[in-house]
Amino acid sequence: MIATAGLSLEQAPPLNLPLRLFLTAPLFAIAAGVLLMLDADAVLATRWSPTALAATHLITVGFLGPVMIGALLQMLPVLGGVPLPVVRPVAISVHLLLGLGAGLLAAGFLGGGATALASGAMAAGLGFALFAIVMLVALGRACGGSANLHGFPLAGLALLITSGLGLLLTLALLGRVAVPRLLDWVQVHVAWGLFGWVGLLILTVSVQVVPLFHVTPAYPRWLTRALAPNLFLVLCALTTLPFLAPAVATLAGRVAQDALALGFALFALITLSLQVRRVRAQIDATLLHWWIAMGALLAAVLGWLLGTTTERIGVWLLIGVGVGLPSGMLLKIVPFLCWLHLQSHQIVLGKLRVRIPHMQRLLPNDPARVQVALHGAGLLLLSTGFVYPPAAHAGGALLALAALWLLGLLTLTTLRYRRALRALIDGAPATNPDTGSRQDAARADTVPWRGRGETPEDKCANDALSIASSTLPRQRESR
Amino acid sequence: MSASSAITDTLTADHRRCDRLLAAVEVSGRAVDWSQVARETDAFRAAMERHFVFEEEVLFPPLENVSPLSAGPTEMMRQQHTQIRQLLADLGEAASAGDAAEYAGLGETLHFMIQQHNAQEEGMLYPLADRALGEEGARLAARLGI
Repeated sequence: MIATAGLSLEQAPPLNLPLRLFLTAPLFAIAAGVLLMLDADAVLATRWSPTALAATHLITVGFLGPVMIGALLQMLPVLGGVPLPVVRPVAISVHLLLGLGAGLLAAGFLGGGATALASGAMAAGLGFALFAIVMLVALGRACGGSANLHGFPLAGLALLITSGLGLLLTLALLGRVAVPRLLDWVQVHVAWGLFGWVGLLILTVSVQVVPLFHVTPAYPRWLTRALAPNLFLVLCALTTLPFLAPAVATLAGRVAQDALALGFALFALITLSLQVRRVRAQIDATLLHWWIAMGALLAAVLGWLLGTTTERIGVWLLIGVGVGLPSGMLLKIVPFLCWLHLQSHQIVLGKLRVRIPHMQRLLPNDPARVQVALHGAGLLLLSTGFVYPPAAHAGGALLALAALWLLGLLTLTTLRYRRALRALIDGAPATNPDTGSRQDAARADTVPWRGRGETPEDKCANDALSIASSTLPRQRESR
Repeated sequence: MSASSAITDTLTADHRRCDRLLAAVEVSGRAVDWSQVARETDAFRAAMERHFVFEEEVLFPPLENVSPLSAGPTEMMRQQHTQIRQLLADLGEAASAGDAAEYAGLGETLHFMIQQHNAQEEGMLYPLADRALGEEGARLAARLGI
């Protein structure tokens, strides 16, 4: 069915689907920052504190999950040629389930009772599992149009395992099932979530976007082919630990976690070395977020090897990488998608004389740098809290402010997009009337979509490309 | 360079050459000598135009003949060329006007648009062209002259 161009068009996600996931995600990062500000001592003292558990799930389920899923809605079809089936109902359901899940989980951990915790876990688990299954089905149907897709199914499987274990743990906490060695299973849940879903996805996405964003050399072939599958195998090994004798499990766990730490450290070092060799000189907000995140990742690995507390490692991984990296991506993805849709509308409407705002008019550089500064300062102060506790409260406040700032920037970008789109449709000059005249309105017509024949050879590549290229939105989509 | 990947190899190399030219003009755009910026911008636009014309006039027609299936994707690439050409024209105007903010914003937008377009061509269309055109592909690629 994907052989017709018309249908391929339908498969490019409308702008409002990723945007709805992107625009609500910062709310949960704000909430996590506020919790840190109010109760930093509890979070830094033990990761088992209710506040720490609530903040962790606000970040992973409420912020990180939706941003990564929103990015995948766009990336899989556009860069990989893999369309997601029934994308609209899936995106809307996942968005609602994760939002609900994050809120209820946080409320449950903070004393809201077993019902909140159980329903939150159920909603989050269903939301993640739904997306993981749809993504795995889509990848299974795709026929390898693009070379570097093999990390995605592994990340999808890891997400499915994380969600399943999360549901199991919730049932155990509520006394519905007996799970021996519960804490060991929590470790396995955390490992699959953090190193499987988040880690493998960041690795796979980076291989695609780091060379593209900053014009760097490609990642080495061994890394793109071997690192994700090997890390996945380590995670599988780690899953058997709760079945082993405690003494053996402790030793084997240490070895497995060392392997994970070294694998991701290698990734961070190679990413930094590629970025040092980048052709594109600009040091923009996104690159700064990358550097902070890779620094935090290396700090976490070093901390792990030196035997530091899991609370420190958690802060560096969850906030340094888990909040920082997606924030940096959003600062570019959102204005680019808005511009792309504006220009596509412009061509469809044949109004090349109307000037549309470029990326930096949609989301200016300087306020984006302020966002990085707030985030970096917040992370630094929070880390300082481990030796000088009062600093952690200020760190939490700054992290909340950074997320609020991000929300403001993304909202303004969307509003500017809407204004420009309205101007485009009404035919009036867009945001900048004084530069509105154009001398080169030569090509006004859209290129008609041609039907295609049915020879088996290369049909896959063709379908993939058709899907990938169909960035033209229909007018109804974004009005 | 093997014949089976001549198109992918040659045109990917030309993409990287254009990437470097864009990165260079993005840096120049921060300078004050706008006549120099305008000259470099023209050179970059010429390199891009040469690449587009090669694809549209030399590569796509025989590809569409050999593999009618590819007509949809090649039309989409032509359409993206139109989008990129429009940005290139805007960049040229910003250089002539000496408008640094406009130039930087257009340069960045162009960068992301080109990268997305390149990823689709390099990941999917060129390998398809190499398979469909075989030896003919190598002869065509040689005509780009890089």
